[in-house]
Amino acid sequence: MNRTICGEYAETLMEFVAGRLDTDAKARMELHVESCPACRELAAGQRAVWETLNGWKAAPAPADFDRRLYARIEREGSWWDRMLSPFRPAMLRWGLPAAAAAGLVVMAGIMVVDRSVEVRPVPEKASIQLDSLRPDQAESALEDMEMLREMNGVVRPDPAASTM
Amino acid sequence: MGGVAASLDLDAELMLRVRDGDGVSFAALLNKHRSPVVHFLCRMVGNQAIAEELAQDVFLRVYRSRGSYAPTAKFTTWLFRIATHTALNALRDGKHERAEESLDSVSADLPVRQIPDGRPSMEQSLVNQVKLEEVRRAVAALPAKQRAAVLMHKYEEMDYSQIASSLGCSESAVKSLLFRAYETLRASLAKMA
Repeated sequence: MNRTICGEYAETLMEFVAGRLDTDAKARMELHVESCPACRELAAGQRAVWETLNGWKAAPAPADFDRRLYARIEREGSWWDRMLSPFRPAMLRWGLPAAAAAGLVVMAGIMVVDRSVEVRPVPEKASIQLDSLRPDQAESALEDMEMLREMNGVVRPDPAASTM
Repeated sequence: MGGVAASLDLDAELMLRVRDGDGVSFAALLNKHRSPVVHFLCRMVGNQAIAEELAQDVFLRVYRSRGSYAPTAKFTTWLFRIATHTALNALRDGKHERAEESLDSVSADLPVRQIPDGRPSMEQSLVNQVKLEEVRRAVAALPAKQRAAVLMHKYEEMDYSQIASSLGCSESAVKSLLFRAYETLRASLAKMA
């Protein structure tokens, strides 16, 4: 068979064998098949296949097919209902107050978290200040304190010393 | 084609009503397409019980998808796209293994009543049964996509564009698939004869 020559007909050959071509296409195909032994042979072979396939009758769907299907649909539907049913009345009755309460709880939580951040001590900063105090500054501060103590003794004399 | 268009409108309209919650329309679609889907799946997987199970899955998917249904294609095309995917998945997952076993056990699940030839003699009945078995074997031996294409073309009378849409490929790919499939069948059945 010369497939390169008959390629364009090969594509429509199955439709020809199936009897699904319109009048013009069918007439063209018949003309070609008459003149081309390869396509004639191919068409005859495919007609045999087509007729053989006609003999393959599938068994009908069982009588309880719909009942089983609807049972599955029902089961699936009732499964969802069962899942949602405990929440549905509460959702309808208390949905808005519950949402508002939840919102308030969330806002309060945010405020508490913010405040705890504000009052948190920062020990690292103090230690930095201590670390940054130089020894001469400490010595000077001690001398100042000693001087203040002496001045205090001048202003308020020791009562034990006055009795002597 | 006027009939096809009318059918398109009717089925799509029914499905749109299903989308809006109309159970009667779903029953009408089920009644119309139940047998074609079961037959297609039975020929695809080669086992009646598995085919029925898969057909249930197909219609369940149709029902589940009702909310998002949009009539962008012919309803039958959409339905057979679901059926084809279901069958190909089942074949891939190995559900067909039982089907292949049943092919070896000479029509254990296919009674003689499936051959519609009136009152055949015992000899004629046996001949028909053997012939049918040969056809089933030849079709079962085709690659899954070729098999689906042949079954939709031969038994569901779908055109190339519908088959292409169901298989998710181009029309030219479908023509090629069909030509190769029918030629393979011709060679297989000629050997068997």
